[in-house]
Amino acid sequence: MIVQDRNSKLEEYLQLLRSMAFELERAMSAISVNSIQGLEDSLANQEAFSTRLVELADDLSGPVQKEPLAVRGSADDDLLQRVRAASNELQSLNRRYSALLKYSSRSVAMMVSLFSSYEGQIQEVSGPRLKLQTWSCQI
Amino acid sequence: MPDLTAMGGLNTSLLIGMQALEVSQGALNATSNNIANSNTPGYTREIPEISESPETISGGVVSGGGVSLNGLESVRDELLNLQIQQQTSAQSSADTESSALQEIQTNFSTSGNDIASAFSAFSSSLAQLSANPSSAAAQEGVITSGQNLAGAFNTTANALTTEQSAMNTQVTQTVAQINSLTQQIAQLNGQVSQLTADGQDGGTVEDQRDELVQQLSQLTGISVTQSSDGEVITTGNGTPLVMGSQSYSLQTTTGSDGMQHVLDSNGTDITTTLQGGQLGGSIQIRDQVIPSYLTQLNTLASQFASAFNAAQAKGYGSNGVAGQNFFSVPSSGAGAAAGITVSITDPSQVAGSSDGTAGSNGNVANLSAALTNALPSGQTPSQAYANLVFQVGNDASNASTQSTAIGQNLTQLTNQQSSVSGVSIDEETTNLIRYQTAYEAAARIVSTIQQLGTVTLDMGSTQSY
Amino acid sequence: MRVNPNMVPDILADLQQSQAAVNTALQEVATGKSVEVPSDNPVAAADMVQNTIETANVDQYTQNVSSMLSMVQAAGSSLGSVVTSLTQAISLGTEGANGTNNTSNLQAIASQVQGILQTVVSQANASYLGTYLFGGTENSSAPYTASSSSPSGYTYNGNNNVNSVAVGDDMNVQVNLPGSQIFSNSSTDVLGSLSSLVSALQSGNSSEIQSATSAVTTALNYVSQQQVFYGNAESQLNSQETYLQQETVNLTSQQSSLVDVNEAQAATDLSQAETANNAAEAAAAKVLPDTLLNYLVPTQ
Repeated sequence: MIVQDRNSKLEEYLQLLRSMAFELERAMSAISVNSIQGLEDSLANQEAFSTRLVELADDLSGPVQKEPLAVRGSADDDLLQRVRAASNELQSLNRRYSALLKYSSRSVAMMVSLFSSYEGQIQEVSGPRLKLQTWSCQI
Repeated sequence: MPDLTAMGGLNTSLLIGMQALEVSQGALNATSNNIANSNTPGYTREIPEISESPETISGGVVSGGGVSLNGLESVRDELLNLQIQQQTSAQSSADTESSALQEIQTNFSTSGNDIASAFSAFSSSLAQLSANPSSAAAQEGVITSGQNLAGAFNTTANALTTEQSAMNTQVTQTVAQINSLTQQIAQLNGQVSQLTADGQDGGTVEDQRDELVQQLSQLTGISVTQSSDGEVITTGNGTPLVMGSQSYSLQTTTGSDGMQHVLDSNGTDITTTLQGGQLGGSIQIRDQVIPSYLTQLNTLASQFASAFNAAQAKGYGSNGVAGQNFFSVPSSGAGAAAGITVSITDPSQVAGSSDGTAGSNGNVANLSAALTNALPSGQTPSQAYANLVFQVGNDASNASTQSTAIGQNLTQLTNQQSSVSGVSIDEETTNLIRYQTAYEAAARIVSTIQQLGTVTLDMGSTQSY
Repeated sequence: MRVNPNMVPDILADLQQSQAAVNTALQEVATGKSVEVPSDNPVAAADMVQNTIETANVDQYTQNVSSMLSMVQAAGSSLGSVVTSLTQAISLGTEGANGTNNTSNLQAIASQVQGILQTVVSQANASYLGTYLFGGTENSSAPYTASSSSPSGYTYNGNNNVNSVAVGDDMNVQVNLPGSQIFSNSSTDVLGSLSSLVSALQSGNSSEIQSATSAVTTALNYVSQQQVFYGNAESQLNSQETYLQQETVNLTSQQSSLVDVNEAQAATDLSQAETANNAAEAAAAKVLPDTLLNYLVPTQ
């Protein structure tokens, strides 16, 4: 039955939105503690979820035959509302995740530049302590 | 004297004072020993080959396994410190903006006293007049709801100028705090130099100083470098704050806009160059964000008042007299929202009639049209206000998002700082490549999720085949 | 990587975030709304501005429809009475024209028709909630008053203007016809025709009575046509009422999707947030020294 199919797709979509949100949180935590493995694990899940989400989204956003309210029922509206709420939540997380990625990847880029262009010059200073070190790198 | 010529397009050169990874003399010696070792003749050849390509590592950093990271580590730590400083400033600025915007946006929620609620009550009072043109109660309803609308404009505008004033006070206070810190830092720099010259260990004093520099970075964006005379601290734009044992105080003075402007020690106005930290955030809110909101609010108030007054003029009050101005706004454009009031008090002056009789509602349609027609700005009153609400909400949301994201980034950086990797260059570079790959994948997914957002909004809208 | 000796700030940051999530979820359940401030959902907040205004308008339009319905029904029913009166007048006129009446009969009939004229005038002066229905926009005093200088004996004090009442964003319904159009129109003068019939009956001239009576017939047909206006207004208002009911449902539903929180969803969010918070605290408990734990307030 067409109505049932659509509703169960919406349910799956909803679940995926929530799972994706969870993964974003997980990825952000992994980044905070510098767990590259944790980040990679999360990304693997994210890839899988996003593939399925895009499929479902294509499916669910095609033209829908206008059904009388009695047939659609209020359950459909309720489900849609939850989908929207979950989607808003995910978008909000995504913005934060995107900002964090921007900053973190800038750090990585700086480190990469450092490693690839480091040219150290050591200048001995008398005394047991300070060693002034001069280096330059392209950033 | 080693050749300090940079490679290619040099953006940044960093002169770094060696810092201990841990505050213990033992580790201090160990580290300096490492550096001393790294200066042995064979060392530079043992360092992985310098890659000419700055973008990726794959150009050839990796050499035989087991090469020590020690030299690079100290530099990396300085780079971390730099980033931590910058992000501390950035977060402090985002926090300042976020707090201010949280305050501001409460005036834009549909609470009942806000402009949206007032517009809606005013609109329905006109619809009621349409059905009861000669009713004094209906006419009173228009006046009362008009007064509430003017009041909502007044309140909202005042809330904005109040917050602006609070930011202004914060500018003065922050500058005073900055000056206090720079003086202390300069003094400590002096002590460090003296201790060094005497051949003593200045580590504790340096740590004190570094703590103060950290505090300073919360107040304003700074750039820290080392010169042969000692530590140099400037604002992000290059205005000197500390040079070795010398500090340079900032001043504040009232500008022609009535706000506190920040001057450098020469008296030059540097207000617009200040970014980052509490100071940068306050200035951004005070001089950019709030004025933008106020301009929109003032434009809406004055254009709407004009449109409604023009509609009044097309008709007659129930007393048969031609319609007079319903709203009055201050004659100059500025302050329209703060100063808008209702200028009629007599119900019979509400110009609902089109023929001068009390029973005619012929002009009510014109009055209502002032609410539904486009203003000179090109938007209807409700569209203009809705756009402002969106902007305020979006700005507040972004500031909060930034603050949280930067906070997480800071956590990441301080975690890096606190841990000692002790791995080889090989492993370190492998990790960096993994990070780059991961971030590229992450960015693609971010983009996909963003697009899904738009698609999801459209779901459920039913169209027939 | 060895354990970060500075882990404490992270954990506190995590705790603060999970506490914030609990607070948000708590607030959602308490108020039933997920947009408290615009930053919660800027697009929804902007849409809510429009929704708020439209909802208030629809409420007022609904009231307008209801009160205008009553008014046009009152006017329509007045005209119905007028038709009845005119029908009576016609049969009286017919009777008077049949040539079998003597003078005193005719006088009696004449005064009955005069009575009918007075009745019709009082219908023309009908009011609804203090507003005269047939005075045009000059509706605060009686449209028709006695006047010796007027042929029909009554003069019209109203005007020719009409009101259209807002019952929708772009919908105004005309709700009245002026008395000058219905009762004292120069081409079909209802009141005039009745007073002419009275005069004819008093004169006793059969053919005059006959033509006066057929003038009243013309007047009756005319009034029936005028009644159609009010019937049309009534059905316009009725269908607008149905439309507004649907609009109310739509706006309420839109509002729900913008700001309301599904109760079950909010409760789920709350328990999830609380679970996460408890988990974060449990994790913290394992790592933080005891002294610090004393400063952490549990969520319960």
